[in-house]
Amino acid sequence: MRGGVTLTVDGKEVTVPKGTLIIRAAEQLGIEIPRFCDHPLLEPAGACRQCYVQIEGQPKLATSCTVGVAPGMVVKTQNTDETVAQAQEANLEFLLLNHPLDCPICDRGGECPLQDQTIAYGPGDTRFIEAKRTFVKPIPLSPLVNLDRERCILCARCTRFCDEISGDRFIELFARGAGERVSIAAGEDFESPFSGNTVQICPVGALTAEPYRFVARPFDLSTVDSICPHCSAGCNVKVDVRRGEVVRQLARSDYDVNDAWLCDKGRFAFRFPDAPERLTTPLIRDRGLEPASFGEVLTQVAGRAAGARVAILTGGRLMDEDYYALSKLARTVLRTNDLDHRRSPGAGEAERYVAAQPLSVSYKDVERAKVILVAGLDAEQEIPILHLRLRKAAARGARLWVLHPRRTRLHDVAAHILTSPEEAARLLAGEGPTGNAAFDEAVGALRDAGEDAVVIAGERLAGPAGGAEEAMALAFDAGARFTYVTRRANDRGALRAGVHPRLLPGGRTSADGLDEVEAVWGPVMDREPGRDARAILQACADGDIDVLFLVGVDPLRDAPDAALALRALQNVPYTVVQSLELGSLEPFASAFLPAAAFLEKTGHVTDWEGRGQMLRPVRGAPGLSRPDWEIAAGLALACGGDLGFETLEQLHEEMARLLGPRPITLALPPREDPASASASASASEGLALVTYPLLVDEGRLSERADELKAALEPDAFVEVHPEDAAALGIADAGRARVRTEAGEAELPLRVTPHIAPGTVFVPFNQPGLAANTLLSGTFDARATLEAVAGTAAEAVGDEVSA
Amino acid sequence: MSLEFEPRLTRDWDDPSVATLAGYVAKGGYGALRAALEMSGADLIQVVKDSGLRGRGGAGFPTGMKWSFVPQDTGKPTYVTANYDESEPGTCNNRELAERDPHRLIEGTAIAAKAIECHLAFIYVRGEYLWQGMVMQRALEEAYAGGYLGKGIAGSDYDLEIVLHRGAGAYICGEETALLNSLEGLRGEPRLRPPFPAVEGLYASPTVINNVETLMNVPDIVARGADWFRSQGTEKSPGTKMFTISGKVERPGNYEIPMGTPFRVLLEDLGGGVLHGRALKAFTPGGSSTPLLTAASIDVSLDYESIAEAGSLLGTGAVMVMDDTDCVVEAAERMVRFYAHESCGKCTPCREGSWWATRVLGRLEDGLGRERDIPLMHDMGTNFLFRAFCALADGTAAVITSSLEHFGDEYEEHVRLGRCPLRAPDPQAGTDPDALAMAPPSEVAS
Repeated sequence: MRGGVTLTVDGKEVTVPKGTLIIRAAEQLGIEIPRFCDHPLLEPAGACRQCYVQIEGQPKLATSCTVGVAPGMVVKTQNTDETVAQAQEANLEFLLLNHPLDCPICDRGGECPLQDQTIAYGPGDTRFIEAKRTFVKPIPLSPLVNLDRERCILCARCTRFCDEISGDRFIELFARGAGERVSIAAGEDFESPFSGNTVQICPVGALTAEPYRFVARPFDLSTVDSICPHCSAGCNVKVDVRRGEVVRQLARSDYDVNDAWLCDKGRFAFRFPDAPERLTTPLIRDRGLEPASFGEVLTQVAGRAAGARVAILTGGRLMDEDYYALSKLARTVLRTNDLDHRRSPGAGEAERYVAAQPLSVSYKDVERAKVILVAGLDAEQEIPILHLRLRKAAARGARLWVLHPRRTRLHDVAAHILTSPEEAARLLAGEGPTGNAAFDEAVGALRDAGEDAVVIAGERLAGPAGGAEEAMALAFDAGARFTYVTRRANDRGALRAGVHPRLLPGGRTSADGLDEVEAVWGPVMDREPGRDARAILQACADGDIDVLFLVGVDPLRDAPDAALALRALQNVPYTVVQSLELGSLEPFASAFLPAAAFLEKTGHVTDWEGRGQMLRPVRGAPGLSRPDWEIAAGLALACGGDLGFETLEQLHEEMARLLGPRPITLALPPREDPASASASASASEGLALVTYPLLVDEGRLSERADELKAALEPDAFVEVHPEDAAALGIADAGRARVRTEAGEAELPLRVTPHIAPGTVFVPFNQPGLAANTLLSGTFDARATLEAVAGTAAEAVGDEVSA
Repeated sequence: MSLEFEPRLTRDWDDPSVATLAGYVAKGGYGALRAALEMSGADLIQVVKDSGLRGRGGAGFPTGMKWSFVPQDTGKPTYVTANYDESEPGTCNNRELAERDPHRLIEGTAIAAKAIECHLAFIYVRGEYLWQGMVMQRALEEAYAGGYLGKGIAGSDYDLEIVLHRGAGAYICGEETALLNSLEGLRGEPRLRPPFPAVEGLYASPTVINNVETLMNVPDIVARGADWFRSQGTEKSPGTKMFTISGKVERPGNYEIPMGTPFRVLLEDLGGGVLHGRALKAFTPGGSSTPLLTAASIDVSLDYESIAEAGSLLGTGAVMVMDDTDCVVEAAERMVRFYAHESCGKCTPCREGSWWATRVLGRLEDGLGRERDIPLMHDMGTNFLFRAFCALADGTAAVITSSLEHFGDEYEEHVRLGRCPLRAPDPQAGTDPDALAMAPPSEVAS
């Protein structure tokens, strides 16, 4: 190894990179040194004193978690040195003095580092006859996290996580000596969307998660590795199942993806597949919706689809396999390009680029970048683990800029450029100085960093104002890496498979690479781009579609135009719903096909990086429910076609032929002189309404995660800049009425300087407002605000958290 | 035996006017600073190195060498911090030094600052030293007004600010890295070393932290030279040293003596001997965290090397004298209780071990000891000596191991008699060890 350091541990030689800690070097040799405060992703603390080793030539024992290796170092662990073994045993004796030893009723019992290491390295008996220290317990730090101070061994992993990793410093060590304890400011809640990580890394049962409290013993659980279904972070998880029911989800370490972390939504919103409304039998509408066999339903659907005008809408959380099958079904059997997984107009060539270029930017690229521009993305709320990686990059010295309508939780590590979507698009399109000093500084830094610079464009740049293509052009112009990130777990997989009116698999179009698709699929009938999601709904409403497939999507909730979605469902003659349940779609469904949940099938999901990760079933699919791709293949047969695969192996073989990375030629928008760029927005009336989903909302996947919602779900609100509030005369109002072309809503008013002037924000789906009632087909609109008479603002500081 | 020498640190103690700027300057004060401002940093460091001055805070590290570790090319500012967090039980000599002669501390700090190109220095005074903090603050204000601090000090083009920072009452903040944490507004907990403060100290910048007495020796060294400084004391421990003698002694107080003076001189000539002429039983040579010595060591020389040879440490020069009516177990309990109370809580052996040791020692003293408690105490001493995060627990261990070493019999007698042999039997005392439910540190959850 170049620059390696060679040392011996317990007589075994090992070569490790310079700067490696002794405890890590020992791990490489398979030598276990007991430890509590040490965590590979936290700075060394040396607090618990459990990991003593003897370094030859040194008079004192050393803690192996704090001392780096040196050439020729000779280290002895408890395996080969009596003093070390004695010191470790003595330290465990100290740790256990005040520990309540309530293992039989502790959630951690059976998987507890203190318990395990005491058995392995500790004293068999106690010499302690005094009374133990007692504390009031448990103390709820939030509706999710409980603190038991008697069990706590003060390793400070939790407080260091909050300090070093999440930056959400809600908890801290208070007092000193034997009275030292973890605490939180009076009246505060542990309101961090990463709070659950502290529970997972607690080496004892001091921090416990309310949803798992007294629920199971580890030896009653079966654990399966999986991928989190919520956002596009692609977090590796362990799903713990007891008698077929998911009772816990934990982070699984993967240093290429989520490190060892998980957001609280990923950790605690796991009950949705077990909803009582779950349907596991195909249904067909005769007099009412009645159970039928798969064959019966597919035959009827095929009959209706034959020669008809068909459209397919999907959600963003199916598997790669499902998307591929649906893409092929649409193009080769149903003969339509009217299919879409998106909800917004899309990001044009930026979508085509990421569909063709998996891993154009990876987590590691973010972590190692020197300059990062995040545009149109609220990472903490939309892709929380990417947010942690951005913080990690900042901690490693990267310079960060965030171009967004609202301040994000990166505010302590990134310069924020708060602008309306139109202004963001104008800045990104600019060639040369834009007149925005912060933005120009960011562009200069991007240019200077070149390959070490990353531009991340989020969905806020996929609105009508655009910006994603401009961001891509800017990145390439500066020599930086670029990616366009979407929020839902497998939006990226859908994009790659071509569940898209214009894109075929791998970012191909009828003008680029059609021959490669046809070589695998046979002739693609319709070569004209199809309708996007909004146009499909409009066509349904206008009577231009005969059969509408809704696969894992509910347009009434998800489409950014609730009224249009309703008209579409009322006017389309035949609607096929393929999902876990019917919910609000029940009155409109002509046929229902029960799909297997992510827990119940084998497949892949593609995270925001473009990394495909495999899931295995945690349990069998209930009832007659089947994976979506199998249903698609069955429908193809019923239609007299054939998708050409009956097994996953066949499917994967075919996917591999079309979904690899491929070079593409992009049609980039021209760089504009910012001076001549039209300032179209200023001419419009009212304020620019911006809306996007917050992490914990009324979405279907958070259903029944009551503790999570109690901890982290804010009620709906409307946010506006003080200047606008003053101009509108609403600065002192407690509530405001938001009015758009589509509708109006009365909401608590937050006046905050942390939003761009001229912009108004409402969260997409919080209790009190489904914001799609304010929208006309895209996630932005023009809005007017007025005070609701008789309401007064509460005295609040300028800190407004989402 | 009598002691004749020229007092240095205490030479102006009879003149209250030296506490003022005018009085200090009248005695030649700030002359050394003027000289230092004409010298290069390297020359200043060299003269301090040549003087052989060693840190008076306890460890005895050579001061000039400490200054020379400060890198000058980091692009970061450098800092000097005077450690005036004098908190060791039995020690109050920094207090009297700086109280009577505050400008000498300012001058020493300013010279140290000049030596390492520092323009912002701190005096960290322990929170309980309320009056002393006020004295220091007044002296700083005088020094600013007199042009000895601020822009262009003492007529030079060198700028220096000195900020007085009050601690919040934690013994651990006398540990230099915990002091830095406290200065930065963080929890008073020691930091991991390396990086050492000389490289990454205050605000991650090169920092020198010196004890008050160390810094107060500096002006004379600069003014009169290294050879003059070495004219008193021993070869390896040159200069004079302040001792605080307390406990069972006729004339407790602060005394300056040349390094290497026999303990007997301090006790008998200066301290007037053991109180009421009783017999010397034991003493701490350098504060409660240094191992106890017994009457057998009465002729030990008070310098770093000789005391180390006798099995203890010079520490902060706090001599606590015990006579033959004092119970060692009780004394140990009292001292260990102090360290349990002052443990910062960061690391296990110190936090839990000193808490436990306090309880076991309390039980022994109360006559509730068991035979196996004595090997237990032996183990405890071993189990936190050199195994904790910082040296605080080493002090705790020193009390336990040295008292057991010298007075093992007395411990055993406590167990055998079921009471303290030096106390009258208490008819109320219980006998069941398990009945002794130790009151927990009362914790009310927030």
